[in-house]
Amino acid sequence: MSRQRLILPTVRRRSFLQGAAALGGAAGLSALGMARAFAQEPEKPREIIVRAWGGSWVESLKAGVSDSFTKMTGIAVRHDLTEDNEIQPKIWAAVAQKRIPPIHVNWDTTTNATKSALRGVTEDLSDLPNLKNVTELAKPVGLDGYPIVNTYGYVYVLAYRPSAFPNGAPKSWKELLDPKFKGRIAFYNDGIGFHFPAQVAGGGKLEDIPGNMQPAWDFIAKMKEQQPLLGEDPDFTTWFQKGEIDAACTISTNAREARKNGIDIAWVIPEEGAKFDTDGLWIPKGLPENELYWAKQYINHALTKEAQQVWLDGLGLPGVVPGLTPPADLINDPSYPTKEEDFSHLIRISSKIQVENESDWFAKFKAIMQG
Amino acid sequence: MITSTSKSVILWGFVSIALIVLSAPTIVVLGSSLTAGNMITFPPEGLSLKWYAAILRATDLRDAFLRSVFVSAVCTIVAIPAGTFAGIALAKYAVRFEKAIQVYLLLPFTIPLIGSGIGLMLIFGNAGVLGQLWPVGIACCVINLPFMIWAVTASAASLDPDLELAAANCGAGPLQTFLYVTLPAVTPGIISGSLLMFILALNEFLVSLLLVDARIVTLPVQIYNSIRSIITPDLAAISVVFIACAVAAIFLLDRLVGLDIFLKSK
Amino acid sequence: MRAARTAYPLTWRIMDVLEAFAAFVWPTSFRRAIPYLLLAPALLLVGLLVLGLIQIGDLSLRTLDTSTFLLSENYTLANYRKALTEPLFVVVATRSLTGSLIVTVVTLIFAFPYAYLMVRTRSAGLRKFLLIALFLPFFIGQVVRAYGWLIILGNQGMVNEALGLIGVAPLRLLYNYPAVLFGLVQYMLPFAVLMLAPALTAIPEELETAAASLGANWVHSFIHVVLPLARPGLVGAGLVVVTLSLTDFAMPAILGGGSQDFIANAIYDQFFRTSDQGLGATLALMLVALGSLLVGIVFTLFGAGTLAMGRARQ
Repeated sequence: MSRQRLILPTVRRRSFLQGAAALGGAAGLSALGMARAFAQEPEKPREIIVRAWGGSWVESLKAGVSDSFTKMTGIAVRHDLTEDNEIQPKIWAAVAQKRIPPIHVNWDTTTNATKSALRGVTEDLSDLPNLKNVTELAKPVGLDGYPIVNTYGYVYVLAYRPSAFPNGAPKSWKELLDPKFKGRIAFYNDGIGFHFPAQVAGGGKLEDIPGNMQPAWDFIAKMKEQQPLLGEDPDFTTWFQKGEIDAACTISTNAREARKNGIDIAWVIPEEGAKFDTDGLWIPKGLPENELYWAKQYINHALTKEAQQVWLDGLGLPGVVPGLTPPADLINDPSYPTKEEDFSHLIRISSKIQVENESDWFAKFKAIMQG
Repeated sequence: MITSTSKSVILWGFVSIALIVLSAPTIVVLGSSLTAGNMITFPPEGLSLKWYAAILRATDLRDAFLRSVFVSAVCTIVAIPAGTFAGIALAKYAVRFEKAIQVYLLLPFTIPLIGSGIGLMLIFGNAGVLGQLWPVGIACCVINLPFMIWAVTASAASLDPDLELAAANCGAGPLQTFLYVTLPAVTPGIISGSLLMFILALNEFLVSLLLVDARIVTLPVQIYNSIRSIITPDLAAISVVFIACAVAAIFLLDRLVGLDIFLKSK
Repeated sequence: MRAARTAYPLTWRIMDVLEAFAAFVWPTSFRRAIPYLLLAPALLLVGLLVLGLIQIGDLSLRTLDTSTFLLSENYTLANYRKALTEPLFVVVATRSLTGSLIVTVVTLIFAFPYAYLMVRTRSAGLRKFLLIALFLPFFIGQVVRAYGWLIILGNQGMVNEALGLIGVAPLRLLYNYPAVLFGLVQYMLPFAVLMLAPALTAIPEELETAAASLGANWVHSFIHVVLPLARPGLVGAGLVVVTLSLTDFAMPAILGGGSQDFIANAIYDQFFRTSDQGLGATLALMLVALGSLLVGIVFTLFGAGTLAMGRARQ
């Protein structure tokens, strides 16, 4: 460790010269918005680590953001597939113990990211040049500045195998209670995305969240009798592909991935509605100055139109930069809301309520499912 | 001495099932790694080594493997003196509070791994060394230390104390007796114990999961994180690296001390 | 070089110097301290675990404040109350305990014949084969083995493909309780056999022959001779299997499909999903207590079996 620190100044100067030369010729310079910072560009780390979800999620991020970032800067990007909930306490502990955090960039749900922002472990991103081009969706609600940047929105749809629904697309979440789907449905292991439609399907009101969610828990308890599989994003794709399940409450991306692989899968927004939410990127505190700089460049790059177009084509989700072209298969798709009326069937709960209660909801869902 | 047919039929019935259950995952992983297709299937669709080529190119897998080897090395290097000395002390000397010390040294075994792992995570975290690789090696050493001690005590117990007395009688000093009589006698135990420690650390999963992060991820944790994603044949190929290490360890064990050592009554 | 010199080689002289040095820094009067000095490194290493337990104990007395996601400064027993009353933890604890008992029984049933055949066979080749078949999975590790089962037991895995050939619709073989128990039995088999084998070696084969010559059939001699004499091995093996499977994490996590948590998974979840370290620490401490209690009971009832270290087992 200490030896590394000793040789750093010389290395820094040398790699600065190399970096400057390489960047002088780089075409994507203005796209990165770094022209201003060019003169004092800090030393490049060998790699930066970005936490990501597995399967098609990480593939899309790699194709849209990471690969082009590496091409432009020469910095390799390693993707860490630790689950979002698991990386959180590790980052918190690292910041509390003044250690270097385990990752450079966290790709996170907005709710989880907001928790970290409230705890003060996030770096401020307000000075990213590309923030001036983004839509309202990118701005986190109820926080000062940009401790996180939202990068797209998504819907927790009801994805299904049409062959298992001979009477046509399911109209209600209640159709999953059909005995023939016993052991053939799936949810996220913490129930994320399903709590709110379950509240409606259970006869409750969205306004009662979080005060009275008994209808949701009752409905989820009924679902438990169906012995659902519980997993994370890539699991849904795998399960659909391997024929393990017929229906799931999952982000459309996972179902679309199975469809891309030739499996007949469709999705709907049932009459009770479906949850709309956002994901974002943020940087934990405690990184060395130069690594922080390049982590910020990574997020800045993720906000360019070029990067968003490829990344979100892969995910099949609406981004935060104006003028993106929707993928051909998702034009007018309910999982790709673009216009005001597209949102009428989607459930949006305030960030504050989610931040304060989501842990309890997760625990409650797990308690029901493990019972 | 198997005289009755019914006995051998029943015996072999159980043993065959056990053999199948024991070997199936290894064989399937081996087979799947040789597939020419892009999905895990068994039997594999066509034979190819392309997934081995793929893991050779994958720096993250290679780095993770090298980290695991480093962890195992630290674990073994620490375990050899600690376990050998403790084993000799327990086997040869009348130690006061022997019962208590035994119970204490069995703690790594009686404390569940999740408890040990979390405890070490807290300790290393407070000490500010979490996020480095060597504490993972120390942790693997602590939780597996009983295996090392068992191996050494088993050898030391078979050493006739008269031999050491004879050496002393012939004028050998205590150090000489230790180096030329005691140590060689327990060498088989040290060899089998350290091989065991190395392999157990190479495979250690739960405690690693608690102590590593993306910067220092070890191979078992890397595999675990990946099988929660899409299961691709490159994982089978990298798993074969574990199988190869296991084969090498068994070969060494057999060559150096003989596998039969594990059948010895103690 | 003079003859006397060659008669007294260099290594001897070095040895003499070392002995003198050892005697100087460690006079004979200190001799009694030697065993404790030898034990010191191991005691220190295990001491890390004790320190860890103290830390866990401290955490277990603090509760989580969900508005700041920080743990309380003052001590309370609230976590223990929650751990004992929350139905979730009762369910998980029951599942783990029942599971570990089933796994132990099944594992011993299969491990015993395996160990017996391995010890008794006349063929060195067969013995070596059985040993290798045992060590290979033992040395491969849980994650890779669980991964193998995912390939074999999946809905489109080998078993279901084979069933498909005879016209049976795919069965759900994974992500349920039996799958976890099955995975655990496979994981535990090598441990159990390796703990049993030395005990079986210790039983003289002549005893069985004698029983047979006195007219006992093999079932009788098995029940009345082999089984009782194998008790130390059965105790050791049973103990290892019950504690390791009670506290396992990987098999429920990988083969359980998210709904078959064992205690270790619940603890992990508290630490890393709910971020309630206080409650997680409480559960961890209770698991340590449960495990130690089990080991303690078995030790006092049956002795340490093949688990003892050193002189105590002679």
